[in-house]
Amino acid sequence: MKRDQTKSQFVAVASIAAELSAVMDVAKEISLAAANAKAIAFRAGEKAKGFQPITDFINELAKDTIELVTAINEHALSLYQLTVNEYRMTDAYDKFASVELLAEGAAYKESLQQPLNNCQQNMLDCRRDFKVNVTQLLDQLNEVMRPARAARVIAANSRIEASQAGEYLQSLQAVAESVDNAAQVIHENVQRCRSALSVVDLVE
Amino acid sequence: MTNIYEGSYQWVMFGRDENKPDLIIDTNQYMVRTADRCLLIDPGGVELFAPMLAAVLHYAPVDQITDLFASHQDPDIISSLGLWDQALPNAKLHASALWEGFLRHFGCESIEYVAVGDNGGMIDLGGVQLQIIPAHYMHSAANFNIYDPQAKILMSGDIGAALEEPGAPIFVDNFDAHVEKMRFFHQRWMPSNQAKRVWIDRVRELDIDILAPQHGRMFKGDDVGRFLDWFESLQVGIAV
Repeated sequence: MKRDQTKSQFVAVASIAAELSAVMDVAKEISLAAANAKAIAFRAGEKAKGFQPITDFINELAKDTIELVTAINEHALSLYQLTVNEYRMTDAYDKFASVELLAEGAAYKESLQQPLNNCQQNMLDCRRDFKVNVTQLLDQLNEVMRPARAARVIAANSRIEASQAGEYLQSLQAVAESVDNAAQVIHENVQRCRSALSVVDLVE
Repeated sequence: MTNIYEGSYQWVMFGRDENKPDLIIDTNQYMVRTADRCLLIDPGGVELFAPMLAAVLHYAPVDQITDLFASHQDPDIISSLGLWDQALPNAKLHASALWEGFLRHFGCESIEYVAVGDNGGMIDLGGVQLQIIPAHYMHSAANFNIYDPQAKILMSGDIGAALEEPGAPIFVDNFDAHVEKMRFFHQRWMPSNQAKRVWIDRVRELDIDILAPQHGRMFKGDDVGRFLDWFESLQVGIAV
């Protein structure tokens, strides 16, 4: 692990955490929008009959997103821990290599070989675990895109149903808008998570 | 590397590293080497890890470096802990119980943390017994010295420290001239006259041939008493 690589890895993991925190906020907004829509649909009665089941869908979507983001956050945390461990191992390995040079002629220089080997092995283990975790995280990010895509379809349906709701048209259209915007924001944030991960060099 | 005690075991002082980066403070590290164990006292900061371990390898293999001691929590004392943690397969760190949660930030997973209570304790190197002497607030809130009653050496941490030019001799050779190199350091870094008096009373009870601080020169013979007298009359904690 080179120093630049370490930096980009730390930055990538930190960026993911920041983006996910924003996704979580948006998911909570959707949940609020669902509750709001339910209240309006209830007041609108027959006029918003088609809208009522949609509010349940919106709520489900928000719940799914929150659960997924919680799981991804835990994953991002373990990626951070792995990055810290790898950084420590790499630093130790570099320092041990310096000791090897400086200890030229020392009676017990050879005793350094075992720690050096252990450190190298630990470094490789960290790298392998990091790669596995990144792949899993990318899969999870794909998953979180699904409810976001579904939310856009629901938003389109909501607009149609809202158009039948007479004087409640504007309120329900606002709900549809907010779900649509939220889905868009989630989509963009998740894309940014993916790009953040793409700068991490997984080849070495 | 200078041997400062040779008996059935050794005390070695490491310091005056010519390759040390300019902006970090020069430090003295100490090692007690027995037949099959090795204690490193205030092993130093991250920057000094490589030269320090390389120097120790002249005396002991890695697996015989069994004990580390940190007089307090400062980075020049022990920020290398995370690296020792990777290097030493079976070692203990003796340090204040108060600093445990802080020192572990440097990385301490394979090394066993031996938490020393406020009253001090003992490090047993298999036949060589060293006393951990309380020196709280001198300068750190939880602070210890190491006393070896057989070698009559007191490793005093920052007490007796002086800021020296590179390549300074390892022992004080003119006490009066040396005083000015210590004055501000002690007045500014030592916070409490009361703690100072308690420490001096405690240390006067010990039979000391060498007082070995973590920075600057060591004191030998009569200069140990001269230092205690000088320090006793010095007002410390001047920044308030």
